[in-house]
Amino acid sequence: MTGGLLLQSILTGLTNGFVYGLVGLGLAAIFRGTRIVNAMQGDFSLIGGIAAVLLLEKLQWPLAAAMAAAVLLGALAGWLVELILVRPLRKRGGTEDSYLLLTLGIAFAVSALVLYFVGRDSHALPGIGGEGIIVVGDAAIRVHSVWLIAIGLAVMLLLRLFFTRTTVGLSMMAAAIDAEGAATTGIDVALMRTLTFVLGGLVGALAGVLVGPLVTVHYEMGLLLTLKGFAAAILGGLSNPMGAIVGGITLGLVESIAIVTVSSGYKDVIAMTILIIIMIVMPQGLLGRKLRRGG
Amino acid sequence: MLRVEHLEAGYGDVPVLKDISLNVAASETVAIIGPNGAGKSTLVAALCGLVQPRAGRILHREAEVTRMPAHQRARRGLGVVLEGRHLFGELTLRQNLTLAAAHARADAGAKPKIEDAIAEVLELFPFMRERLNDAVELMSGGEQQMVALARALLLRPEVLMLDEPSTGLAPLVVKQIMSTIGVLRSRGMSIILVEQNVALAAEVADRAYVLSVGRVVHEVAKGEWPRFLADDSLVKAYLGG
Ligand SMILES: Nc1ncnc2c1ncn2[C@@H]1O[C@H](COP(=O)(O)OP(=O)(O)O)[C@@H](O)[C@H]1O
Ligand SMILES: [Mg+2]
Repeated sequence: MTGGLLLQSILTGLTNGFVYGLVGLGLAAIFRGTRIVNAMQGDFSLIGGIAAVLLLEKLQWPLAAAMAAAVLLGALAGWLVELILVRPLRKRGGTEDSYLLLTLGIAFAVSALVLYFVGRDSHALPGIGGEGIIVVGDAAIRVHSVWLIAIGLAVMLLLRLFFTRTTVGLSMMAAAIDAEGAATTGIDVALMRTLTFVLGGLVGALAGVLVGPLVTVHYEMGLLLTLKGFAAAILGGLSNPMGAIVGGITLGLVESIAIVTVSSGYKDVIAMTILIIIMIVMPQGLLGRKLRRGG
Repeated sequence: MLRVEHLEAGYGDVPVLKDISLNVAASETVAIIGPNGAGKSTLVAALCGLVQPRAGRILHREAEVTRMPAHQRARRGLGVVLEGRHLFGELTLRQNLTLAAAHARADAGAKPKIEDAIAEVLELFPFMRERLNDAVELMSGGEQQMVALARALLLRPEVLMLDEPSTGLAPLVVKQIMSTIGVLRSRGMSIILVEQNVALAAEVADRAYVLSVGRVVHEVAKGEWPRFLADDSLVKAYLGG
């Protein structure tokens, strides 16, 4: 393999890795905040991506406005999912598998709604910076991919500050760590759970508008992204949302290097094999830690 | 300050509290004593809103709070240190305290700044000054108990409920916690102290209710502690001593 080819696959892997990482970040944040494995996390991306496409194509909004509105719509979707579906199930004493089934059902429903109302076509979303390309040695990277990586990093840092420095972020952490301790400390635990889904929807939709220009937006993209995001989140340590980005980058790099060294047909097999090996060696994930209670 | 009328509560279909009536006046320290499994912790959980009562009423300052969510009760002045403490273990001491200060009761005059409120509580627990950036899960059991107490105090409660704050701790730590409770009492806070150790309860409480299988089976009135403690048959009958 030439140096240029290696560099190219690293750049591609990084770009994809940040997409997987953002999806995984939303998954991990929701898992941490509510103990729910959200099987529709990738569908927040579909909602964000398709909303951006429609705002651009049907309403001729400028790209930045369409993307921002799409991200906010993702947050709104997260809020509605929690309020209308998750919360009633919790009141009836939902178990882990019932939430998984519920979110899986929502995933299929979102996909079906998009198929019905928008159709089965793939929609191209223009990239940030258009089709511009930056040449790095023998390799090239799209301007959009540079933006994607920068935004991914910024989101990671902002979320870190949010969870450690702001009252709302700390309250969300506290509600996740010990709901009874949080409630008796004056924290509205139900509201924090709702906000967790709002955050998950927001980050998911952001991943959607960022990945749209790379792979096109279509009604089946949700579940695929959920699977990649899930792998990223598990790899990074499911209880540590920041770990998902590290997990996503690892997954992206392993995949893209597998493509150039072996064959693109085997990329998922090789990527998953390596992930399984990592998980056997580090069962808590790359950045994971055991959840501990004081005592 | 706090009045409970014919309270019934339990878990699922299992009744635990069967008919509890009691009251706590302003500036009064009242002990709840009783054997293991009597329902003391369930009573505390019902008072702070973690367990929904089936029947009866809970009144705080003559306003009914029976169905009020736990976080609203905490914000209106019903503070609690739960059995098992329920701290935010991975968070630092400063973060634990900040969260409580941020949700403090607001109706008693202007809310102090968070840093000022924390500084004030640290006067009661000077050892914490050096530990503000430590994760509380790394602290000893006694230290964690004091963190739980400090966290409850930062809500600026009118009524403070403590569920067995001394259980499992070294005698010196127990002494420290009891003397802190004494300080709070002298400041005029209303305190409900759940305690299995009757002698300890008698040291700090004005009165007591004895609980057994979900009912108040005896009251120790003001000034009656010596008679209650001296009467072996009473203590044995109620506490299985
Ligand atoms: N979370 C719970 N779920 C079901 N039963 C419980 C729960 N907590 C306590 N109990 C039962 O309620 C009864 C009273 O317990 P508790 O209030 O903890 O008593 P105490 O604090 O006086 O030892 C016991 O029989 C106990 O088994
Ligand atoms: Mg108890």
